[in-house]
Amino acid sequence: MAEIGLRNLTKVYGQDVTAVDSIDLDVRDGEFMVLLGPSGCGKSTTLRMIAGLEAVTSGEIMIDGDVVNDVDPAERDLAVVFQNYALYPHMSVAGNLSFGLKLRKLPRDEIDRRIATTAHMLGIGDLLKRRPRQLSGGQQQRVALGRALVRDPAAFLFDEPLSNLDAKLRAAMRTELIKLHRMLGKTIVHVTHDQVEAMTMGERICIMRDGRIVQVGPPLEVYRNPADTFVAGFLASPPMNLLEARLGGQTGLDAVELPPVSLPLLAAHKEALRGRAGGAVTLGIRPEDLDVEPSAAGQGVVTVTVVAVEALGPEVILVGALPGGQEVSARLESDFAAPPGSEVRLHVDLERLHFFDADTGHAVTAG
Amino acid sequence: MLLSPATGGNLTLTQRDRRFGYLLTAPGLAVLLLVITFPLFFTVFTSFYDYTLLTPNHDTFIGGENYQEAAEEEYLPGSLWVTVKFVLASVAIEFVIGFVVALSLHATDRFKTVYYLILLAPLLINPVVVGLLWRMLLHSELGIVNYAIGLVGIRPVSWLGDPAIAFWTVVLTDIWHQVSFMAILLLAGLSALPREPYEAARMDGASPLRCFFAITLPLMRPVIFVALLLRMIFAIKTFDIVFIMTKGGPGTATDLISYFIYRAAFFGLDIGRASAMAVGLLIIIIVLTALLYRYMRSLN
Repeated sequence: MAEIGLRNLTKVYGQDVTAVDSIDLDVRDGEFMVLLGPSGCGKSTTLRMIAGLEAVTSGEIMIDGDVVNDVDPAERDLAVVFQNYALYPHMSVAGNLSFGLKLRKLPRDEIDRRIATTAHMLGIGDLLKRRPRQLSGGQQQRVALGRALVRDPAAFLFDEPLSNLDAKLRAAMRTELIKLHRMLGKTIVHVTHDQVEAMTMGERICIMRDGRIVQVGPPLEVYRNPADTFVAGFLASPPMNLLEARLGGQTGLDAVELPPVSLPLLAAHKEALRGRAGGAVTLGIRPEDLDVEPSAAGQGVVTVTVVAVEALGPEVILVGALPGGQEVSARLESDFAAPPGSEVRLHVDLERLHFFDADTGHAVTAG
Repeated sequence: MLLSPATGGNLTLTQRDRRFGYLLTAPGLAVLLLVITFPLFFTVFTSFYDYTLLTPNHDTFIGGENYQEAAEEEYLPGSLWVTVKFVLASVAIEFVIGFVVALSLHATDRFKTVYYLILLAPLLINPVVVGLLWRMLLHSELGIVNYAIGLVGIRPVSWLGDPAIAFWTVVLTDIWHQVSFMAILLLAGLSALPREPYEAARMDGASPLRCFFAITLPLMRPVIFVALLLRMIFAIKTFDIVFIMTKGGPGTATDLISYFIYRAAFFGLDIGRASAMAVGLLIIIIVLTALLYRYMRSLN
């Protein structure tokens, strides 16, 4: 059991390359925390600092309240699953699993018992005598996971462990990792750049950018209330439509203008946007909040020129150009069809509009 | 049929590729044939004839007589023994020093290029020059080494005159010259090792020493194998240093097999017999290579 706390954690490479910039984060005991962000955002560096594989430039790492900055990696009672598995190539699967246990001087029968249990749990019992190179990617992945499990550590650190697997296997492993977490109840910090992984696996997501934390929260909360345009554009595929707009209407706060389109503002939005009358904003609309069918009340209408229609099977992504030239994506029913160049009327769910500061990108709607 | 090429007749794409490949490599292969295969076959051929520098022709076929004479050479076993000692001593010491240097350089971040250059310098020097250089440095009266040890009160050493010392002088000279080769090969191997297993081992709690024996050595085995094998093959053929520094002496203390064969050919004037010994040496090297190769294969 372990709580992991990061206080003002900073990592600077060389003189001036700041990989992680004074971040604060608390991972609760038994929590599945996902660090999500594009490559180079500092998520892996953060994980490696927690593991002890990377020295901390400044700030503190705490495990269960104790500062562990100077504690040897092996003494932190954490296990890492690496992106490319990092198996010992010349050892058999059993050798890979037992190496850490032998170093910890566990009795032989205890080692055997743990290997048997882990191998059974991961379904690698019949691979124990094989070498890593005789295994498929998925099997190597399981062995790497097994090497972490067999140690029975206080917490697990996953460094993009699924990114080398093909799509089908990745989906299967996602489910397995979730099950595993439920079964073991251990703290897990999982690093990924894949927003699907983050949304499906994490109890909370910590989104990072340029070495800083942008937003932390449960997946749906982050999805519904992105803290800024970066999060809005990063989560989900296709991402939220972000459009340059201006507040307008008679009072300067009655509508959001995408000339020549004008969408009426609801009372809740007016409240949040008070003080910005007539100002520029970034308007965010999720693709699923655009539809060809008018559903309930509170709809606005925009007419777009069809740029492309991407049939995904269960749904269709319509890419259309607004009269002002900005493009939007809409997630539509699978039976939708329209030739490029034709005009389509889209209904906007006005309750679900998102507003961001045009300069800073920070969200201005409170929800 | 529609796609059949306009040129090249009815050949498939693969066949035409192959033909073009042969065409391109033909000049190179011809030169190789001339400078490598010809001397080799000439030597094997000559070893069956009574070919001396007094009668340099292939008129008299004598079958295996040269081989029999060579095998009965009084001083051959001694020379072989010196060669074995020389190969084992120089390669073993070079391996240990080379590995230590490679590991140190691998862990170094700064001035790597400078170290590389220093390390490479001896390798770039012609072996004859190396021999001359050390012969002068170690000269018993005029050499700087004896002068230097004289300053701290050690009596002059007869580096090349004392049979017991001369052998090790030659071994050390060879090490000075060739150790960089070992170090650089091993360093290349170390640089190519994956980083992740070491991090996994750190998480598992392995000490640096444990990492070396549990990860580095097993992973380096192919490189170590190649480095040792190459150096052994080179060491068996060592000639220049002995030729310059000791001429096989004093007595037969440094009479390596290659020098022994050289003497048979150019002092004994018996090219046929020397050829027979050279072929024997070649067979030994081939057998050695094959044995080591199979041994290493069996380890995997």
